[in-house]
Amino acid sequence: MVEGGLCKTGIEELDVQMGGGIPVGSTVLMVGSSGSGKTTLCMQFLINGAKQGERGVFFTITEPLFKLTKNMEGFDFYDKKLIESGMVNLIDLRIISERLGLDTEKYSVEDAAALLDVLKDIADELNVKRLIIDSITALCYRLQTKEMIRDFIFKLGSSLAAMKCTTFLTSEVPPRVFQYSQYGIEEFIADGIIFLGDVERKGDLIRTFQTIKMRGTSHSRAKFAMSISAKNGVELAPLLKTRA
Amino acid sequence: MANTLIDGLKERVSKAVAFNQSVGVVLPSTNYADLIQAFFEYIRSKPEDAWVYVTITKPYENIAKQFGELALSKNIRFIDCISRAAGISRTDPNCIYIESPTMLEKLGIEIINIFKTVDEKTNKYLVLDSLSTLIIYNDAEIVTEFFYQISNRTRARNIHIISLAIEEEGMEKLNKLIYLNDKILKVRDSFI
Repeated sequence: MVEGGLCKTGIEELDVQMGGGIPVGSTVLMVGSSGSGKTTLCMQFLINGAKQGERGVFFTITEPLFKLTKNMEGFDFYDKKLIESGMVNLIDLRIISERLGLDTEKYSVEDAAALLDVLKDIADELNVKRLIIDSITALCYRLQTKEMIRDFIFKLGSSLAAMKCTTFLTSEVPPRVFQYSQYGIEEFIADGIIFLGDVERKGDLIRTFQTIKMRGTSHSRAKFAMSISAKNGVELAPLLKTRA
Repeated sequence: MANTLIDGLKERVSKAVAFNQSVGVVLPSTNYADLIQAFFEYIRSKPEDAWVYVTITKPYENIAKQFGELALSKNIRFIDCISRAAGISRTDPNCIYIESPTMLEKLGIEIINIFKTVDEKTNKYLVLDSLSTLIIYNDAEIVTEFFYQISNRTRARNIHIISLAIEEEGMEKLNKLIYLNDKILKVRDSFI
C-alpha cells in the first residue's frame, strides 16, 4: 500500500488502527499538553524499533538526559543495553547548540541552517531509522519567524524521509485546547498528526489518543483511551462514548 | 447450616459456569460473602481453568484476609478497582490495581492482558464483582456500554463472564444491565 513500507510502532492497537504502521519516512507531529504521554510514547516507539534492529535517536530540548533516562527506567520496555550498544542514542540538543556556538535563546537563519545540518549529519552517520525531537515547540521558539519554522521543519522532514527515517516531533499545547501546535505551522508540514488529550470522568482524567491525519494510510479517526503502565508502557482501548 | 448454604451456592456457581455464556448472578446482600466463598471453593476445585476476578466491592487485601488460602489459588488473578480510590497503596503480585473504578477502559485492557497469557485451550472465566458497585461510581449508561464492549471482546476470546449484582433498592438501573447477560441466576434463600 505504501511505497517503502510501514514502520511498526510495536504498540499493537496503534499499529492495527493505522493499518499496520506508520508509512516509513513520515514526519509525525505528536501533540499533547503536559503529562499527556508524548515523551513516553515516543521513547517506546524508539525502543521497540531498536528491538527490531532499527537504530534510533532521541533529541531532547525540554529535559536533561539524566532526568529523561531516570523517568524511563521505571518502564519494562526500557532496556539500558540498547542505549549502551548505540541502538538508541539520546542527545541533548542544548549541548549541541552550545558546542556550535549558537545563541541559546534565538537562532539566526545561519544558526538554524547549521543546526539542521548537524541533525541531518547525525541521522546519516548513525544510519537511524527512527528519530524524535522532544519538543519541536521548544525548538521553534528559538526560530524567529514563521517562515524559518516552516523552512526548518520542511527541510528536516524531507532529508529524513530520503533516509527512510520515520520522525516524531512532539508539539506542546495548552491543556483542554484542541490545537495542534503553538505556531500554527507545524501541522501543515507534518505527514501525520497524533493528538493526545484527556477526558474527565467523575473528576478523574482519562488519557486519550486520536490520529488526526496520517498520509498514505486509511487510519481510524476514532478516539481511544490511552493507558500508560510500567509493565506495558502505552496501550490503547476504544474510548467509551457515553458522556459521564 | 453454613455448609448447606455454601454447598447450595456452589451448586449455583457450578450451574453458572456450566452455561459457558455470560451469566448474571443476582443475590441478596445477606448471601454475598457466602457466594464469594462458594466461588473461591469452586475455583480451587478446578485448577485447570483460568479465572480473573475483578473486585469493585472490596479491596483485594480484605478478600485475601477474609478468604485466606481460598483466594490465593494459582488459577485466579485479581484486578482491584477500589483500593487506590480508597487511598490504599498496598501492592500484591497476584493483583493488578486500577487507579479508579471510573477507568473502565483501563479495566478492559488489564482483563484482556491477563487472558492473553493464558493458553487458548484453557477454559477462561471472568467474574465482575459487582455491577451494582460499578454503577455507584459510574453512570449506568457508561457501565452498560462498558459491559457491551467487554462482553464482545471476551466472547471473541472464548472467555465467559459471570457478573454479580447485589439485590437492593433502586434495581431499575441494574435490571437493564443485568439483562444484557445471556442467562440470569437469581439466588434466593429458598433455593438453597
